[in-house]
Amino acid sequence: METPAIFWGVILWMIAWGVLGSILLRRRYFARDLDTTNANFVGAMAGAALGPVGIGALWAKTPELTGRIIVAFALLAVVLIAGAFAFADPKNNCVSNGSFVASQITNGLIIGIIYGFMALGLTLIFSILGVVSFAHGEFYMIGGMLVYYITAVWLPGINPLLAVMGACAIAFLIGALFERLMLTPMYTGKIDRPVEYGILATFGLAFTLQYFVQAIHGASPVKAERFIDFPRIRWPEDSDPLWIRASRGNLELFETISISNPRFVAAVTCILVLLALLYLLHRTWTGKALRAVSQDRDAAAIAGIDPHRMNMLAFALGGMIAALAGALLVQAFSWLPQVGAIPAMRSFVIVVLGGLGSLPGAFVGGILVGLVEAAGTGCIPDAQKAASYIPAYGMIVLTLTLLLRPTGLFGRRFASGAHGQ
Amino acid sequence: MRITIVRRALLASVGTMAMLGGAAQAQDCPIKIGALAPLSAPGTVVGGEAMRDAMMIAEADINAAGGVLGCDIEVIIGDSEGLPERGAAVMERLIAQDGVVAVGGGYHSSVGVAAKDVADARGVPVVFAETWNDTITGDKQKYIFRIAPLSSWASGTIYQFALTLPGIEKVAILTENTDYGIPASEETKRGLGEGGVDSVIFSVDIGTQDYAGIVERIKAEDPDMIITLVTGEAAYNFTQQAADAGIGPMDLPFVTGQDALESGAYWTNVPDGQYAFVQRIGVPESQFTEKGKAFAAAYKEKTGKSDVESYAMEAYDSIAILAQAIGEAGSTDGDAIVAALEAIEHDGTLGKIYFPYGTQKDPSEDGKGDEWWHQWPDPALTMIQYQEEGQSSTDAAIVYPDAYKTADPILVNQ
Repeated sequence: METPAIFWGVILWMIAWGVLGSILLRRRYFARDLDTTNANFVGAMAGAALGPVGIGALWAKTPELTGRIIVAFALLAVVLIAGAFAFADPKNNCVSNGSFVASQITNGLIIGIIYGFMALGLTLIFSILGVVSFAHGEFYMIGGMLVYYITAVWLPGINPLLAVMGACAIAFLIGALFERLMLTPMYTGKIDRPVEYGILATFGLAFTLQYFVQAIHGASPVKAERFIDFPRIRWPEDSDPLWIRASRGNLELFETISISNPRFVAAVTCILVLLALLYLLHRTWTGKALRAVSQDRDAAAIAGIDPHRMNMLAFALGGMIAALAGALLVQAFSWLPQVGAIPAMRSFVIVVLGGLGSLPGAFVGGILVGLVEAAGTGCIPDAQKAASYIPAYGMIVLTLTLLLRPTGLFGRRFASGAHGQ
Repeated sequence: MRITIVRRALLASVGTMAMLGGAAQAQDCPIKIGALAPLSAPGTVVGGEAMRDAMMIAEADINAAGGVLGCDIEVIIGDSEGLPERGAAVMERLIAQDGVVAVGGGYHSSVGVAAKDVADARGVPVVFAETWNDTITGDKQKYIFRIAPLSSWASGTIYQFALTLPGIEKVAILTENTDYGIPASEETKRGLGEGGVDSVIFSVDIGTQDYAGIVERIKAEDPDMIITLVTGEAAYNFTQQAADAGIGPMDLPFVTGQDALESGAYWTNVPDGQYAFVQRIGVPESQFTEKGKAFAAAYKEKTGKSDVESYAMEAYDSIAILAQAIGEAGSTDGDAIVAALEAIEHDGTLGKIYFPYGTQKDPSEDGKGDEWWHQWPDPALTMIQYQEEGQSSTDAAIVYPDAYKTADPILVNQ
């Protein structure tokens, strides 16, 4: 960085006004008996982005703090940080190299979609059962392991799509079976501390799955072959640069953005399954029943929905979603029995960031974490440190969000968690 | 047949030595020798399993030859998981709970750095097999020995090789944030710099899976060569993802992690890994000692692998040399074993192993640095290249140094 004083000066300025804005605006809205839910967040963003001007304007008018205002101030703050960074380090690739920026954003989006998809399963379980599943990473692991074994060992030559579906079906069955056998005491009042019981039970499942796979398979890394090969595409033929160029293992957009085949396949599949999931949740009786149970178990029961059956379905579905993420990524990453630890940790961060129990929050949170990780890896001037801090980037965003909006981005303010009862 | 005869002869010699020692002092049997190996992630499990298999063969060979001091030996392997804190705890358990009299093995430098202090404080001799960090011997601790090469020395082989390649002006180095990776990358950068080659270091946490952002950043640096100083499946992930992005071994000179010596796992995980260079410790199989050939045969039979990795040979030797030292000391006392190790001449699978510097002669007397304390000075270091797809590491071409060279390197960017 050529002139770090500029950058850090701006950051300190933003922090100072952000803290002041957060405190002042909340007091102002509280004094006027207005909704203070977003006052901290908007005050901080307005102070960080516009300093005394932003805080003063909000102080004077006290407008309703809608989503648009929140997003506008947040974007303004991000733009200010980016501008300060550009002035301070004009030779940085993130400032001077457009194709690099486009590639990093694409990478961030793609991996963010996959992160968000995996976190979706976790938040689905939490929203219905009120329990954080610590076996989520192990479902991710067995999804990948099953696809490897089905395609490479048990049924070589099988269509990978069938292998993925098979892995999902097995993961669904494991989830359903586990929920029936181990989690039902949570709902029947047989135990004093249902939440702690649920957490410990899923911990047990995590260890069981991990060491079972290690005992059967060993600990050597494996990897599945690419599910499909891209057709050879050069389109439009006479354009320079080509808009789309595809080889078997790679897709290139505008001869600038390079996306590997396994990532592309995984991200597109995640989006398609997400759409199917949204259809299930919003257009089918079962999905509506799941949502009803997540909102009010007693009312749902009165309406004829069996909450216990929904518990089983949610846990099995959540596990299956994690397994699907693993099944899709085993063609991209080397796979070990312990491979689920880091993605599971990241899913916890995303779920809290997006708001516990919020499905859109999980997906948006995943994309946000993916983009922040890509920005950190690409833009931090010290190459030696840029990649070292990857796990920390998501945590920084999470900490800031929780400070300013403890419910997370899309969290329900007064959600208490029914813990499956 | 010849291998079997040689092996029997070697076992007989070990056995005779063992029985001589056995007369010196009665022992509780079996004599327990501890061993460190990463058998769970985030450690390098591929390496750990290879070392475990090798050390089990060492135990069987020594016991088949009559054991030591009239007793069988029992090798107790502790899973370090590649984590320093776990390594220190496992070392403590091996000594305090399992009652081992000496310890061999060891893969990750960070584990070695943490575990050596525990062993030294308790007076239990350790012969580290595959931990490269210079400080492991550089701290000049009485009970700590090493048969792996020094990190600075191993890095020297890589950058000297890089400097022999034409058209290399900038090198990207990917390293891990460990006691192996950081000093190795700095030493490599220093050496390249002295040779007039610019370099940039990228460091990652051990076990990193997704390298997309880093690969883009390396691409933006437009390097002429990439050197990977990362262990385990992380190196597989990086190499394949770099290949997907067009900067892999088939696109520019690319040194991948040492675990690529496990060629079966390498080709499964890095299908586009042809033309990668790999550092290897030890001479090519055609130049193995008789003991090396016997071990290679036993190892391949036990594991079903087509090649034998250098860290497996080091692991075998670390146990065998301890067994010989216990026999020559005539005791399982730590000080006696150290005295025997300092005077030892062991015919190992890697060659004749000895420790010229220690309590009897300080490295400074020969103008050497502290890191040469209790350090075997002769392990051969070579660079190999997978010149054919699916090749085993044993068959791969040795491209550096000239003393062992079997083929010229194929330079994909020329």
